Amino acid sequence: MNSPIVPVGDRSRINVRKGIVGLLLLMLAVLVLLPQGGWAEPPRPEKAVRGPCVRDPEWMRRNHMDFLKHKREETVREGKFVKSESFLACADCHTSRERFCDRCHAYVAVAPNCFECHQYPK
Amino acid sequence: MLSEYSVIEGRSRHFFKVLGGLVLLVLLGAGAFFFVEHHGHAVTGMNNQIVWGLPHIFAISLLVMASGALNMGSMSTVFAVKQFEQFGRFSAFLSIALLAGGLTVLMLDLGRPDNMLLPMVYMNFRSMFTWNVFLYTGFATLCLLYLWTMFEYKQYKKFIGTAAFGWRLVLTTGTGSIFGVIQGREVFGSAITAPTFVAASLTSGTALGILLLVYAYRHTDRFLDDRLIFGMRNALIFFMMLFAYLLVVEKFTRFYDPASYDVQIWILTGSWAWLYWGGVWGVGVIIPLMLLFNHTTGNRVGSITLASAFVVAGVFCFVGHVLLAGQAYPLDLFPGYAVSSPFLDGVVGSYTPTLPELFLGLGGVGISGLIFLLGVRFLRMLPKRGVAPDGWELPWNP
Amino acid sequence: MTMDRRSVLGLGGAIAAGLALAPGMHLVAAPQTPSDAPKDPAESPPAKRWAMLIDTTKCAANCTACVDACRQENNVPLFGDPERDIYWIRKVELRDKGLRKPPVSLPVLCNHCENPPCVHVCPTAASFSRKDGVVLIDKHRCIGCRYCIIACPYKARSLVYYKTKPPANTNKAVPIRAAGVVEKCTFCVHRIDNGEPPACVAACKGAEKGAMIFGDINDPQSEISQRLLTAKTQTMRPDLGLKPQVHYQGI
Repeated sequence: MNSPIVPVGDRSRINVRKGIVGLLLLMLAVLVLLPQGGWAEPPRPEKAVRGPCVRDPEWMRRNHMDFLKHKREETVREGKFVKSESFLACADCHTSRERFCDRCHAYVAVAPNCFECHQYPK
Repeated sequence: MLSEYSVIEGRSRHFFKVLGGLVLLVLLGAGAFFFVEHHGHAVTGMNNQIVWGLPHIFAISLLVMASGALNMGSMSTVFAVKQFEQFGRFSAFLSIALLAGGLTVLMLDLGRPDNMLLPMVYMNFRSMFTWNVFLYTGFATLCLLYLWTMFEYKQYKKFIGTAAFGWRLVLTTGTGSIFGVIQGREVFGSAITAPTFVAASLTSGTALGILLLVYAYRHTDRFLDDRLIFGMRNALIFFMMLFAYLLVVEKFTRFYDPASYDVQIWILTGSWAWLYWGGVWGVGVIIPLMLLFNHTTGNRVGSITLASAFVVAGVFCFVGHVLLAGQAYPLDLFPGYAVSSPFLDGVVGSYTPTLPELFLGLGGVGISGLIFLLGVRFLRMLPKRGVAPDGWELPWNP
Repeated sequence: MTMDRRSVLGLGGAIAAGLALAPGMHLVAAPQTPSDAPKDPAESPPAKRWAMLIDTTKCAANCTACVDACRQENNVPLFGDPERDIYWIRKVELRDKGLRKPPVSLPVLCNHCENPPCVHVCPTAASFSRKDGVVLIDKHRCIGCRYCIIACPYKARSLVYYKTKPPANTNKAVPIRAAGVVEKCTFCVHRIDNGEPPACVAACKGAEKGAMIFGDINDPQSEISQRLLTAKTQTMRPDLGLKPQVHYQGI
């Protein structure tokens, strides 16, 4: 009851400013200190043994998941099976699942469940 | 005073025992879920003839009771039995708690629980399951709104309460229709299945309400007028008669059709007949009715509670019997011929539940109980005194 | 201000160019058509409707060629647990309850109904009918609720109860399986799309039984259409009105 009245807004503003500064310092520290051990090696998936890819490789790198999903719907549900664009046809040029799919996927820690049922043809 | 609600204290040793017990159930359920997930459904007793087992019995029983638990609220809001208005909050909250437990078990027993959000992405609007998804979410929303209008905005209570009452009838119709619309199995596929489920829900919800009310008031040393319990007893008797009537009509219509003799005689004498006679009729109808109609036991709160416990167990048996007997009876692939195959065609399906299934189902009970217990602990759900108006006399007593 | 057609087109081109945000990143992808893509539906021949005819008089009680071929073709394992084994096709022995007719042995598989109750009840539309009448399960969508198993009056579906490792001699054209999804006969969709008959039909022919005929009933000249016209056939549980497309002769 007897405590002095402090404008709530002022006090909170000071705290927010301190918080932001602290956070920035922390981020800076992380940036400076953590890479000392060296950056993780970027993944180098195996080069295709022949080409060209069914789409522009640059495009495939970014969109293969949507592409595969789209093709999956078309193949399974509509029966539009395009052999050259099928999942199985990837193996024509990318001979190993471990050296092609898994290298990147392990690096980015994305685990699609394709291979619970599908087998990558070797 | 009707408006004086309070939370339960939650400091007693008993409270923590119950809390601990419920947490243990939830943990067991979670353990069972991961166990089944890790090993596949082969560790359950389910097989290719009986694909829905104990978890589904628990889940569907909880869902049936969830809609039934709204009875006390509906009685006051919709049918103006004002004595029960004080239990409206309790009733709507119990509904939500039971719904949450039941749905969790259903979700966790899926073969691919990692895909459980897919029904939200790809909906097949002809599927009874999809309808039920909407019915359950809608019911939960309406119950929350109902609860809200009971705490605040009392002017909308009648409207929301009536909507929730209508919805719960449709909801249980939907639950019963999961079996009622299946024409391919001799035991399922009856238009009367859904109304029977509605009656089962009215019965079990009232019984569970009596159980929990008496339990909560006894253990918090609150006053609860016996006449309120007697009033609920009368409602319970009425609902049970309705339930029994529908069971009899179902059997009668089936027996009138010569093509169903084999199936129906199997139901009454075959491998799951013990559940039908002992569980549904004995535990669920005859024993409780005898207790409730008896002049001595029918006028004693303790024995009414016991009868309610029997009713809850009986409705559990009813759901179990619908599911298990319905699936166990072999499909009649070529009428007029006896069939046999390595895939066990023509053989009555066998089902022996395993511990993981039991724990998964009990986990659902634990979730419902935990939500309910924490609800009455932290929200003002229960009136301090359960009183009936002076001079209120029941029209009938045994 | 008015715009002639050319400037509108130019603007469209500019927008399209702008939609290519970065190398390899486009909001709108230009359609590409590979050489082996199917032709436009308007040009393709009229829709097929696959069906099967089983002549039970030619089916021997001790012959399981169709079942074995199916297991081989579709990598269907046997777990050694009869209650939970997966059967896409099975041999069923029929015995007349009135004891007038001799016993009959026949294969039972998914009937690929025209009105499939499994498709009706599937909450995620994982079970679906293809345009050519083949009822399939999109296992990417199956959540393993088993309602379809409840709804199917032919016991054509099995849940995968066990987690399995692929056997050494798998047919890589057909996926193996993850536990927890429902599966059933696909009419060997990967074969019929290539113009080959299902594995069971081929095996039945190979075993010199020829009890199984597979074909397009929308083509009046096909063998199955001709046989359905002349022979006395029946389907399973016609009373349910599901219009099954596996026909039996000689029961």
